[in-house]
Amino acid sequence: MAWFSNTEKFQYLNRSEQPKPWLPTEGPAADTPLAECPLVALDIETTGLDFDNDDIVSVGLVDFTLSGIQLNSSRYWLTKPKSHLSSESVAIHEITHSDLAKAPPLHTVMDELLPLLAGKVVVAHFHHIERLFLARASERVFGSPTYFPMIDTMDIEQQKFYRPWWQRFGRRTSVRLEASRLRYSLPRYRAHHALMDAIACAELFQAQVAYHLDPQAPISDYWL
Amino acid sequence: MDTELIEIRDTLCEYEPFSYLQEDSQLNDMVRDIEIQYLRKGQVVIAPDERNTALFFIRSGAVESRNKDGKLSHRMQEGEVFGYSSLLRGGRSTLSMMAVEDTLVYCIPSRWFLHYYNEVDAFSDFFELSREARLKAAMASQASDLSLMTCPIHTLLRRPPITAEQHVDILTAANIMSQERVSSLLITADDKLVGVLTDRDLRNRVVAKGLDYHHPVHTIMTPDPITIDAGDYASEAVLKMMSANIHHLPVLRDGQVAGVLSTGDLVQRESNSSVFLISDIHKQYDVAGLQRISKRVPQAFVQLVSADANTQMIGNAMSHIGVAFTRRLLELAEQELGPAPIPYCFLALGSQAREEQTINTDQDNALILHNSYDKAKHGEYFAKLSEFVCKGLDECGYPLCTGEFMAMTPKWRLTLKEWQALFNQWMNEPRAEALLHVSIFFDIRGIYGDLTLAKQLHGYICRQAQQQKGFLSALARNANKRTPPLGFFRQFVLDGEGKQMRTFNLKSRGIAPIIDLVRVHSLGLGSSKLNSFERLADIEAAEILPKGRARDLILALEMIGMVRIRHQAEQLAAGEEPDNKVDPESLSEFERRHLRDAFVIVARQQDFLKYRYPGKGN
Repeated sequence: MAWFSNTEKFQYLNRSEQPKPWLPTEGPAADTPLAECPLVALDIETTGLDFDNDDIVSVGLVDFTLSGIQLNSSRYWLTKPKSHLSSESVAIHEITHSDLAKAPPLHTVMDELLPLLAGKVVVAHFHHIERLFLARASERVFGSPTYFPMIDTMDIEQQKFYRPWWQRFGRRTSVRLEASRLRYSLPRYRAHHALMDAIACAELFQAQVAYHLDPQAPISDYWL
Repeated sequence: MDTELIEIRDTLCEYEPFSYLQEDSQLNDMVRDIEIQYLRKGQVVIAPDERNTALFFIRSGAVESRNKDGKLSHRMQEGEVFGYSSLLRGGRSTLSMMAVEDTLVYCIPSRWFLHYYNEVDAFSDFFELSREARLKAAMASQASDLSLMTCPIHTLLRRPPITAEQHVDILTAANIMSQERVSSLLITADDKLVGVLTDRDLRNRVVAKGLDYHHPVHTIMTPDPITIDAGDYASEAVLKMMSANIHHLPVLRDGQVAGVLSTGDLVQRESNSSVFLISDIHKQYDVAGLQRISKRVPQAFVQLVSADANTQMIGNAMSHIGVAFTRRLLELAEQELGPAPIPYCFLALGSQAREEQTINTDQDNALILHNSYDKAKHGEYFAKLSEFVCKGLDECGYPLCTGEFMAMTPKWRLTLKEWQALFNQWMNEPRAEALLHVSIFFDIRGIYGDLTLAKQLHGYICRQAQQQKGFLSALARNANKRTPPLGFFRQFVLDGEGKQMRTFNLKSRGIAPIIDLVRVHSLGLGSSKLNSFERLADIEAAEILPKGRARDLILALEMIGMVRIRHQAEQLAAGEEPDNKVDPESLSEFERRHLRDAFVIVARQQDFLKYRYPGKGN
């Protein structure tokens, strides 16, 4: 997600605090070990970054655990945006106007999507997009925002490779999805397709766990 | 299915056997049932005796399989599949599979594997053919995957690039190289490749010049190195390396440094299967085991041919394989009969000694015994030993020699003194007829036992032969007895019989005449070389032939040898017994023209031999 500046600061929740309960059903218990926790990788592509005015264009997800990613759980939706799709974002997502004209409206997608997240911890690369856009979509469709625990692979990468400015020299480490994957020798995928990005994110998280995280630690150590 | 998994499907379809399923309507359903697993380097995927339920496709990284005693059996990389043998046996794996790099695998449930195995012939054929046999089939269809022409460079890269920033000092750079055990280091500025540093640079530009180790490394690197793209074919890398005379080629992927390709990587690729074969030979504990392994020799041969190896590489590999069988048999014989009572040396004769063996050679060998040999005391031991080895070789596809030039034949088991006396007799009273059948003894190489015995005898022959002009001219006359199959107007003369009427024998009328005449020059020169190409290099350096002629002979030997080797590889691929009889009609116009030129060179050199070593009589 290159269009976000890395220096922008985000207000993370205090990690020791139990996240606010989320709407459709309860998430996994806070003391579930990471290794036993059902996970779902989620990626949302949007027309822009302003969650008040921009729209969701496509959503991809896939269930996984630390032992593997189950492709038969993968889902992908296009959704018809209410605003006009700019030609720049068409170029980014390789989705055409006619694809979207045939796509179902947002509420249909939300009806199918939210039950698939129930009982799982959602994993995303740069989770703010998914969290903010879904919250806003839920508000529009159901009248109240969703909120659910998430793991952010970009955040893990940032923590791992964070260096104060005085220790940095040359180019800084990129924490973009593609660049992060290369550090773990993961293959190159075509970027900006919501389902492939979700799969790519699930693979990245598996690699991160293998290198940096403790599979026996409670999930609450890692969720945001 | 959602067409969104198309990227995964497409990746699978780039590789066999999934490429055969491209059009299959159910393939999308199979892709949906894939589970993706990430394996960290060192992680075991399948443990021996464990139940396996999936076919594994390596999406990235590398996996090694080892047998129960921990010996490496295969190394597999991107695009290869494993786990199928246990699925076909209905469960337990005999091998252990371990990721040797960080690896991403696609696990395809066994029911899908079995489904396609039953339904799609091309799919099941892929698994039925062994690894080597697959190459054979590929070669038959003129589409060898192994060939350097079609092998993308990224498949040859063995590790991530080792780099250093251009401002680090020479000492630091050298330390990185020794820690990482690399012979070349990529020098970068802002992650961009700006130069290469090799062992040789450190030697020539630093140590030899007495340069201060604290200079920045960019002052001694080779700047703006020649690079190649990871997607290019290995053959292009070979061309670049040859034309620039470099041994390390940085590989870029999308402009980023992806690794270094060394000449070693390419050579290893070429001879992989022969190397495995030799290591397997040394693991066998009886003749039956060796016999089983020997079934793989034709495949190794075909693999080398399809990898575009030249005749010298192939001759070398096949000879090493032959020697490995012999050595192992000798070790087994000594285990059975007890250690030898006196020192001895087992000799390879002829093509094996020259390291020019091909696929269908019968065995030629002999024994040198220490001068303390006493027939009454030791005779039986060596009779048994040589019979064990020669008969064992016969079972391993090296038939008993029809001329009885074998250690098994009592008259070819002699003490060093007896051998020297025999050679003296041959050289002092040279009668061409008597020599005709023993020219093979002038190419000897010790391969087992007390190798100094062989060295002493060979040294003796080389010293004596040079001084015996009569002997050399008798040898020269013999060399001219077999002529190239060319008639007037340079048409081919066919000499086949029966069904093979329309063929000529490339070995006896092309290769043997060259080898014979090269041997005469080489002995005349006092060269101790055995390999014909190496002998020709000595002959060229000694300038005993008119300028350029030695080079002509090298080309002629390579040309005729290659036509013969390809002919044999094609016969093997077609399931026939390989021979030396080639039908000129089966050759391309290109091959026919060059073969004719090669024969003309041989004929001219035979004339020159008469002039150089004139003899009495004919």
